[in-house]
Amino acid sequence: MPQGARPDSPPAQDWTPDELMIAVLAGCFADGDQACNGMASFLPVAAFQLAKLTHAPDLVWLAGAVGLEPRPGPIPASTLEAPLWRDALMYVEQFGDFWTLALNGRWLQKFCVGAAQLDRFGNANNSVIGDYHKPKVRLPGTAGLGDMGSIGKQLYFWNPNHSPRSLVAEVDFVSCAGYLGGGDERERLGLTGGPELVVTNLCVLDFEPQSKHMRLRSVHPGVTVEQVLAATGFEPLLPAGEVAVTPVPTAEQVRLIREVIDPHGMRRREFRRR
Amino acid sequence: MQVKQTTLAEAASLVSDGDLVALQSMATQAAPMAMVRELIRQRRRDLGLVCLVGGIAVDWLAAAGCIDRFIGNAVSMEQFGLAQRYRRAVEDGRIRMEELSETALLARLGAGARNLPFLVTRGMIGTDLIAVNENLTMIEDPFGGPPVVACRALVPDVALIHCHRADRCGNVQYEPTARWPDVAIMPKAARRVIVTTEQIVESDVLRTDPERTVLPGFVVDAVVEVPWGAHPTSFNPRYGYDGALHSAWVAAARSEEGAAQFLERYVHGPADHESYLAAVGGESRLAALTRWEAE
Repeated sequence: MPQGARPDSPPAQDWTPDELMIAVLAGCFADGDQACNGMASFLPVAAFQLAKLTHAPDLVWLAGAVGLEPRPGPIPASTLEAPLWRDALMYVEQFGDFWTLALNGRWLQKFCVGAAQLDRFGNANNSVIGDYHKPKVRLPGTAGLGDMGSIGKQLYFWNPNHSPRSLVAEVDFVSCAGYLGGGDERERLGLTGGPELVVTNLCVLDFEPQSKHMRLRSVHPGVTVEQVLAATGFEPLLPAGEVAVTPVPTAEQVRLIREVIDPHGMRRREFRRR
Repeated sequence: MQVKQTTLAEAASLVSDGDLVALQSMATQAAPMAMVRELIRQRRRDLGLVCLVGGIAVDWLAAAGCIDRFIGNAVSMEQFGLAQRYRRAVEDGRIRMEELSETALLARLGAGARNLPFLVTRGMIGTDLIAVNENLTMIEDPFGGPPVVACRALVPDVALIHCHRADRCGNVQYEPTARWPDVAIMPKAARRVIVTTEQIVESDVLRTDPERTVLPGFVVDAVVEVPWGAHPTSFNPRYGYDGALHSAWVAAARSEEGAAQFLERYVHGPADHESYLAAVGGESRLAALTRWEAE
């Protein structure tokens, strides 16, 4: 076990939704995986560190998609500035190296996606609300997501502000390919990989294997299925029988997040103030 | 080798109204801001920009009315939010955005640099990015594999790059730090190249670390010494981004008037780069930025 991590830690008595989301995302990454992050990605960065400090010490982190295995330290105010990749083993030159490694298909097979809109088939939009050429809202732009959705990656979405505006029936513009129109449409285009999981501040969703429609997997403790349905812009599929409750993080996971990984609370910047 | 050292004002004459300008930039990093300020002061018009991720430079140029098109991956100032003046201009139809995935932009610039009609990528397949863009099209793999996306060659008129040190002939060195693809590819794709540098050194200094040289002087048209030339963006390992100035801009940029006043105070007002550095807080502020104290 890595430094100070205790196995068999009991469930935390005191946890917050950001910490629960980090623990769920951390569980998606294992020894042998390589993970990278982009801009404003506090929850994924915290999740990678948590995985490395607990169940996946050999997870490789490419900070900001440039800094190989930096020395861990408190998460800084930016996830795409030099303090994040202090003391890296290598600067992975983006042009020659990063996209070559990412496109190859053997490495960096999982990617965390944050998006302004996500639809029932896992298509994401960071481009425009309204018409592309005459947008009502011009969003930042697709950047690497426009690639990651089409090159065989497993996509893990995180959304700290679950609402009918961010989880929509159909995105205004597909800037990251999910399961497109559902069913086998993605496969028919020759695309492999695709959306795996959606982790929000209310629940965890996955994708039903045949229809590829988003499906409620578990609600977080204290959240009802009705609350999730009211906050979602479409009707997610429901599992047969009782909806599970998301396991809470362990006391040790919460301690690591608060004291070691993110003592300055950067992770909470992603949550809209209520 | 030919000497190419000049001044900001002279170098700016290599940029004409209407030019397509490839601008080094990440959200809050490594943009040739002194050159950007010079273009705003000289009131260039109808410029196009090519960026990986445009930040405060794009927002200033949009607010100043210098640009009418943008080709790139995204425009964002990360924790400082969307570039509001840029965003409004796109929503009002004053700036046209050609949004590309990262591999698509690198393919377009790579084709431009290598004198090819296009390069291909597997990115973006299935997205709406292809159908809205006349510079992208799906093509069959002539060798029988699945289709790929052809990305038309992009040749900017001029590339603006900032570096740690260079000699008078424009041989460019980068200190060990993360390097984004724009430094590698934009100067080779563009017709003209303007380099600003933290420091001009003797060529013999470059010879001590030739592995740090990232661009040969023969591709460079002008080199200008501008210490703190990337401020208020970061230029690792020398200095961090100026968070306070970014925040002040975000507050000012809520309105057109506020943005205009800000540009008057920090861009049009100061007579030269030294006066700009004094206006943003002078030596003590700059010293704090070398310690990455953003606020």
